[in-house]
Amino acid sequence: MDNVTKIEKDVNIVAYYFHNRGPRLRCFPKAMEWNGKRISFTETGLVHPTKKGQRAIHVFDMTDGNADYRLEFDAQTLGWTLVSVADIGLSQNAPNKKFEFAH
Amino acid sequence: MPQIRNLNLLINPAEPRIMHVDLNSCFAMVEQQARPLLRGRPVGITNRNTEYTCVVAASYEAKRLGVKVGMNFHDARLLAPEILLVESDPPKYHHVYKILVEIMRSYSPHVTMKSIDEGIINFNGTEPVNRRPLAEIGREIKRRLHEQAGDWMTCNIGIAPNRFLAKTAAGLNKPDGLDIIDHTNLRQTLSKLGLTDLTGIAERNQARLNAVGVYTPLQFLDAPADLLKRHVFKSICGQDWYQRLRGWEVDDIEHDTKTIGRQFVMDEMRPNDETVRARLAYLCETTAVKLRYKRLAARGIFVYARYASGDYWYERHMFKSDFFTNAELLRRATLLFNRRPADGWVRELGVSCYGLSPSVQNQVSLLEEINRETWLTEAVDTVNAQFGEFTITFATSLPAKGIVKQKIPFGSTRYFELLCNQA
Repeated sequence: MDNVTKIEKDVNIVAYYFHNRGPRLRCFPKAMEWNGKRISFTETGLVHPTKKGQRAIHVFDMTDGNADYRLEFDAQTLGWTLVSVADIGLSQNAPNKKFEFAH
Repeated sequence: MPQIRNLNLLINPAEPRIMHVDLNSCFAMVEQQARPLLRGRPVGITNRNTEYTCVVAASYEAKRLGVKVGMNFHDARLLAPEILLVESDPPKYHHVYKILVEIMRSYSPHVTMKSIDEGIINFNGTEPVNRRPLAEIGREIKRRLHEQAGDWMTCNIGIAPNRFLAKTAAGLNKPDGLDIIDHTNLRQTLSKLGLTDLTGIAERNQARLNAVGVYTPLQFLDAPADLLKRHVFKSICGQDWYQRLRGWEVDDIEHDTKTIGRQFVMDEMRPNDETVRARLAYLCETTAVKLRYKRLAARGIFVYARYASGDYWYERHMFKSDFFTNAELLRRATLLFNRRPADGWVRELGVSCYGLSPSVQNQVSLLEEINRETWLTEAVDTVNAQFGEFTITFATSLPAKGIVKQKIPFGSTRYFELLCNQA
């Protein structure tokens, strides 16, 4: 099974980048601060909208090369939430193999 | 359309103007797009994160190791010990589906989505606008999909004079293929295929064809219409196959909605009566929501249960009055459900509505009770639309909330928007 850990914590996005994906220039998170650590994203997977009632939520699937992070941006409150982290066990060669999740 | 009396119907010589676009291993590829660490690895998509689940989509890496769609978790693990099973996430697929539809509709107004991951563009009549060769447009669709959905996304494209051959062409060179079948290469293309490579020909139809000495698609193509109609398919289907294989269009038909329903495989091995009724209530609610989404009312209900022993029970009834509210559907389904044999553990449960007609929800009834129930349903729907699905729900179905999840069905996109709101 996929090793997904639910986090559901508010996080700070401290850096952004802009990329011309499709017809428009779009904004993506570049780095976040969570649990006293700065995590720099190396790649953006998929960005897709979803809804919670009538609230528009933008879901960003990001990776830092060691784990996949699912971030949600609430278009109403303008807040970022780290929803989950998926570690598929690739990090044997990576420096930070273990994640310590704060619940 | 040529008449079937002409038994020597020629292969359609028309220029191929039908394009079939098919996303490769759609769900798995979307997950690999979303999560770069999954790329290049065997991935299986499941509808539930449990060990008693099956693979609903497999990545090409997993397929190369022998993993097939529908295979259970343990078999998939035996074939591909490295396989990563990921729970399906409908909003992601909906997003890619919307991108695909938008791209396809930019070329022709005649776009038909056959399922979540495949659709047809009919270019007939768009010649003044689309002057470029369709192969060039096909390559442009692939490029736009890359740009808008992500660089991992690929699709197969088939171009032919009819839908069947276009789908066949799309399956010739997976993944990321682009092939054309027309009257010049039809025989050559069919000579490389087996009977079961043709969409619609599985083991049973293959056996029927073999019984009259047809063993290859070329022999199938050369078989007379009368033989196919009277001796192989024993119905109008034989005539359809005769035309279909020759590139004439017979599949451009829309089917009305005949039934609306939901089913669920129990999450517990030994569910008690309360648990089963909670799931039933939840299924009734979601079925009623689907009915109202399609602005339909039903008169008939079909309820079934499959037991751990393998026994199957069902009960159906056509009522005199129609219904579309959650409460009424649950009440009537419960009437039928109470008649089930009470022996054994229920493993699977399903509710289906039939006898569908346009809803008269806006019509005020002479009966005050019916009006009250209709208005209550409307109020509940409004609250749920504002704050999320099942914010207000039956107390009975509360235990099932979060367990019976909405999943995207294969083969239909009729409730896609609705499903994604509930996912």
